[in-house]
Amino acid sequence: MQEAVPVLSAVALQKTYRKYAIKAEVLRGLDLDVQQGEFLSVVGASGSGKSTLLHLLGVLDRPDKGEIFFDGQRIDNLPSHRRDLLRNQTFGFIFQFYHLLPELTALENVLMPQMIACSVLGWIRHRREIKHRAVELLDRVGLGRRLHHRPRELSGGEMQRAAVARALINRPRVLLADEPTGNLDAEAGGEVVRLLRDLNRQDGLTIIMVTHNMDIVASADRVVRLVQGRVEGAAESHSYDAALAPESVGGA
Amino acid sequence: MYKLLLCWRYLLTRYLALVCIVSVLLGVATLIVVNSVMAGFSTKLRDRLHGALSDIVVQSWDYTGFDDPTGKMEQIRDDPELNSRIEAMTPTVEIFAMLQFKIQGTPIVRAVRLIGIDPEGRARIGGFAENLGPANQEHPSFDLSPEALNRYMDLHPDMGQRSPPIRANDKLPPPDPPPSPPAVPMSAFVGYAIANVRNPKSTPQKPLPDICVLNPGEEAKLTTITDGEIKPVEYRYVVADYYHSEMSEQDSQYIFVPLKHLQLLRNMGDRATEIQIRLKNYDKDKELVTKRLQALFKVEGIQVNTWEDLQGPLLSAIGVERGILNVLLFMIVGVAGFGILAIFSMIVVEKTRDIGILKSLGASHWGILKIFLSYGLLLGLVGAGVGTILGVTITIYINQIEHGLALLTGQDIFPRTIYYFKEIPTDLQPLTLILINVGAVSIAVLFSILPALRAALLHPVRALRYE
Repeated sequence: MQEAVPVLSAVALQKTYRKYAIKAEVLRGLDLDVQQGEFLSVVGASGSGKSTLLHLLGVLDRPDKGEIFFDGQRIDNLPSHRRDLLRNQTFGFIFQFYHLLPELTALENVLMPQMIACSVLGWIRHRREIKHRAVELLDRVGLGRRLHHRPRELSGGEMQRAAVARALINRPRVLLADEPTGNLDAEAGGEVVRLLRDLNRQDGLTIIMVTHNMDIVASADRVVRLVQGRVEGAAESHSYDAALAPESVGGA
Repeated sequence: MYKLLLCWRYLLTRYLALVCIVSVLLGVATLIVVNSVMAGFSTKLRDRLHGALSDIVVQSWDYTGFDDPTGKMEQIRDDPELNSRIEAMTPTVEIFAMLQFKIQGTPIVRAVRLIGIDPEGRARIGGFAENLGPANQEHPSFDLSPEALNRYMDLHPDMGQRSPPIRANDKLPPPDPPPSPPAVPMSAFVGYAIANVRNPKSTPQKPLPDICVLNPGEEAKLTTITDGEIKPVEYRYVVADYYHSEMSEQDSQYIFVPLKHLQLLRNMGDRATEIQIRLKNYDKDKELVTKRLQALFKVEGIQVNTWEDLQGPLLSAIGVERGILNVLLFMIVGVAGFGILAIFSMIVVEKTRDIGILKSLGASHWGILKIFLSYGLLLGLVGAGVGTILGVTITIYINQIEHGLALLTGQDIFPRTIYYFKEIPTDLQPLTLILINVGAVSIAVLFSILPALRAALLHPVRALRYE
């Protein structure tokens, strides 16, 4: 396992947020490797830098220092249009607050990444197949009957499942989930996690999931704990209790 | 593709955007209406101003006039360059006069401009016969209509024996040859507003016809001066027809009489004060012809002017007025622009999180910029489009609208007495429409640049976390 080239790896990442004179060092030299097909869960206290790590990995933001590699190629210093392309084609995002566009229906929301990828002409030429795929995805996440509902007409769990479908429409290599169950009740959260689990198992999708929720961590292959901007422990998920213990320093 | 979709959805769901559309719409509609009316006024005024003047006027610098107008016209015809460009020429005499006539026994005196013309020749110059009554439209002549002649006969039963003499007040030598006793009296075309008074009881709700104080066939006395040593001379002319140009200044001042008779009355031989010239192609040839004529008559103290030179101050005043109005009205659209700026900035703030979402899905800066620029473009297009429809409709039905408003408010919005236009003149120029539309849409796009840039440069993570 160690021999394989990690699909995503972070080397000595540092990120500091500044507001006026106040500096908040969020990441302080974080190293992380994610293998192809892995379901990785990142846990940690509030402010430990989990979301920041996810944003950096998904090239939504740039690290102050350190490097990020995707398939062995450095991606953190790419020009912005290449980063846009990566976000569009390679990474799929899921957020705690679903972040669907309120003006659009569930179907249109799912189509959005494809629309961004296509030119007008391309869209006109391929819209049938693209729509077909979007409907299929919505079917798969259990929203086949709610294609034309606006987000405000959907429940939290439904919105999050639509968001998962949206993240999948461009067949991403890596799914980045930022507290996907944070705003859902146990049942809806459970459904979303089951969905992620299936995607990982059946489709071999690499998933990095940031979470607070200790119940869903069990679904992950591996758990990484962030403490003060560093990876503090890493362990197989069946020993996540150990990983969460501050003394434990992991190594597979 | 997503840009179009989002633009469209934002247009349909943001009612604030309607405010932008309405402001653009009102600006565009106002600009179109005002420009069309101004252009209508301007065109009509130019026509009218031009009507009284020929394309080019060769005029003596005083009222004494110049010798031998026929010879001068031949001189002009002899120049092939000029001859090929000139359509028609006619000599005229212009002088001031006092007009006296009686309304129910009360004498009325007015100052007028007396213009001696050959009616056929003057008609060939243009802008003359069409302002006369229907009988004189084709071949204008000073002959009295049967109706006018009857009225004259009724008023002057002794007319057969009478030969109206030229009466100089003292020992002026009798004109040579002395006027033979005319079978019919000397007649004149009188400005409409001299002979007709607006009914004071007329209101926009109940328009009443004007009151005629000097009917065709009635006499009026004209007193003017002789040439050379100034002596007053007077003559009684009979009204043959009205000159109705709808320009109050002309209609209230001009009286046309036969050229030969005026020359005789003023004892000026065949001298004329002006030669009126009509060109075949005024816009193309005016400069060349004016220059050549100026060269031709340089030594004789004769001025050569185009009608625009003569009406220069008035024409430039209209131009300036139109320019200032346009600046002011474009400021209205500018205000609409600031409205767009403010409302767009609000929409960008409101949509901050959506912008973050779009960026997380791979939308580029440029893409986000384009969403808001196309949004501005769309608002501009819709506003300008609806505004154009509204403006054009108002322009087409402006007289009906004015009439309706006058009925509603009891206030005469377009007092005919001031302008002497029967209705509000309009002139819808396609170029103006295009310019107004392009201007309004550019302002809409221009003012959305700033909010669009702000949206495009939002940091994705900060935008996503925006509460």
